[in-house]
Amino acid sequence: MNRAGGATRATPWLFLAPALLLLGAFALVPMLRAARWSFTGADLLDVGGARWIGAANYSDLLTDPRFRRAFFNTALFALMVVPAQAALAFFLALWVNRPEPHWRWLRTVFFVPVVVSMPVLAVLWTMLYQPLRGDQMGLVNALVAGLGLPAQDWLQNPRLALPAIAFMSVWQGVGFQMMIFLAGLQNLSKDQLEAAQIDGANAGQRLRHVIVPAMRSSIAFVLTATLILSFRLFVQPYLMTRGGPADSTVSLIQFVYETTFLGRELGRACAGAMLFLLLVAGLTLLQRLFAREVRS
Amino acid sequence: MVGNGQRLRLRSDFPSVRRAWQWTLAALLATGAAGCAPERPAAPHVVRVWCQQGQEAENRAMREMAAAFNAAHAAQNLAAQITFFPDFQYTEKVSIAAAARDLPDVLALDGPTVAQFVDAGLLRPIADWFSEEELADFAPTIRAQGTLGGELYALGAFDSAMVLYYDREMLARAGVEPPAADRGWTWDEFLAACARLKAAGFDPVSLHMDESGDEWYTYAFSPVIWSAGGRLISADGRQVEGVLNAPENAATLRRWREVFARDFAARAPIDPNPFGHGQTAMDWSGHWMVRAHLAAKGARLGAMPLPRMGPETVAACGSWCWGLTQGARDPDGAALWLRWVTDPVHGIQPIVAANGAVPARASAYPLFPEYADPPFRLFRELQETAGRPRPRTPVYPTLTQHFAAALRDVARGADPQESLDRAAAQVQRRIDRQRGAP
Repeated sequence: MNRAGGATRATPWLFLAPALLLLGAFALVPMLRAARWSFTGADLLDVGGARWIGAANYSDLLTDPRFRRAFFNTALFALMVVPAQAALAFFLALWVNRPEPHWRWLRTVFFVPVVVSMPVLAVLWTMLYQPLRGDQMGLVNALVAGLGLPAQDWLQNPRLALPAIAFMSVWQGVGFQMMIFLAGLQNLSKDQLEAAQIDGANAGQRLRHVIVPAMRSSIAFVLTATLILSFRLFVQPYLMTRGGPADSTVSLIQFVYETTFLGRELGRACAGAMLFLLLVAGLTLLQRLFAREVRS
Repeated sequence: MVGNGQRLRLRSDFPSVRRAWQWTLAALLATGAAGCAPERPAAPHVVRVWCQQGQEAENRAMREMAAAFNAAHAAQNLAAQITFFPDFQYTEKVSIAAAARDLPDVLALDGPTVAQFVDAGLLRPIADWFSEEELADFAPTIRAQGTLGGELYALGAFDSAMVLYYDREMLARAGVEPPAADRGWTWDEFLAACARLKAAGFDPVSLHMDESGDEWYTYAFSPVIWSAGGRLISADGRQVEGVLNAPENAATLRRWREVFARDFAARAPIDPNPFGHGQTAMDWSGHWMVRAHLAAKGARLGAMPLPRMGPETVAACGSWCWGLTQGARDPDGAALWLRWVTDPVHGIQPIVAANGAVPARASAYPLFPEYADPPFRLFRELQETAGRPRPRTPVYPTLTQHFAAALRDVARGADPQESLDRAAAQVQRRIDRQRGAP
């Protein structure tokens, strides 16, 4: 920057100010407020009458089977979705990374679910997962039956509901990660690939020793972003199963939402949100440390 | 807007950027201050009214009602100002407004949510603005719905009713005899009718298990529990554990589940109106479908009370109603609105003509000649003889959330006792937390 042009020490802050102001007003202040409320018995309809109750909300949540189930479900969902979605996105990107125009079509096809509204997709997939009744069934069961396997009550079976929602979520989100990988692939140095080819490396060796190492930062970004996105699980189970059957798909966000608006227990909901924040921050940190280790 | 030349100058000249920033800040502060200034006293007697946005016909009726109210009260310089909020998650939106202390003078509330607003001290008693005779004119179900701790806090213009609709022709073809006039089936008779219909090749009944909202399940199937003599919550509102999950309720749900176990009804339907489309022979539904069903079926449409598990028929009821807020600036003016919208001619006639609900006052029935005959007559009879409001407790939203989840689980085959135990434990924890709070 050209100091002679009139820039002072305050100048960078001037440029940062709008972002800092907005982040402060809409992220930091509410977060601090939520942290304070989490130690009170704040009632949504009577926030002014909130009283300090110490860590009672936290100790209550940790013994609440529904909260524990929501915590477990959310973590399990992330565990199912993150590796599957990242790996699938990577291979889709490798597959469609070709210059001919018709491949561009395929890229668009994979990306379409990302831009379609999630409630619409949730309704659509509820139909696709339709159980068998009489001679009618959803498309998923029709495919399963075509393979000679028995039809399933995908969304009504406590063991299948979360995996079914995870599958649908991977399908919905994979196009986004594919695009990021695609951008990374297109920045790959052609020289390196050609050199590897001349040295006699086959496709597998080129992938392992040239492409993956060069894509490390894309991979790290995709893993972190997918992890955080997967923790935001709410719309799909809320609309497809309402957290059922037998709480098998209730997510942390749904728990916090219901505690706030149905239970009116704002303080307790804030405590749940704080624990959620700890989970996300902790896992993200862990993943960053892990990624750094891999890089070094 | 900033002109081109000005923008160029700004980019090259930081001090003036700073000055521009100061100006912006000043402008922001000024607008903020203007926002905080007391509202102009242009219309000293505005009654601020909030209500849910329903079907377009309902909204139009509400707007016309407000225009008529304003015309009638122009001499008193009193005017109602309606704000519509989308029906979806209306109660959540009102709760947020309450948290921000930004409630209007009068607001529409769904019947079972009145208790939590009373509990939070946000509504004021309204009985003083009505005479004894006027109050006696309201349906007992509507008075009960708005009464908490002996005080009346809400009144509505209409009520709801649930019946079992049936297609006379399909029943006749399956050799099923509908019950004698206005008397519903026992549960066993209902199951036997379903079995005959199924044997005759019909899909017997639609229970609308595709409904995504929790309220449908509590509203539609609590009468099954009640007709067997069960309760969802103790009379004093403190006990759910041991009441909701009483073995008798589990036994009731075990019998209820047979409808799904024997495939008399779809557990995961897609079509919201299979009866109207000729797919099912019977429909477990309410007054809101009667006009559509009459149009589709004509004289083939029959209606009977819901099947009962015990000796007595119990009918679902309850609907949207109006409450006056504690913070109302002009309670007397607000009460005039409340009287207007629950008045047979000014309020009930236009809104019921628009939404087809059951009138809330006896003196309003002469305005609706269709109530002299079935199926409409049945709505009134049920409301007057068998209607029971849903539990009036501040924890109702939690209760309905977990009871609905239990019903959905039982319908898909889960153990009724286990499902009710889980629901009861969650609701009880909520009650105990509130009672234990300082």
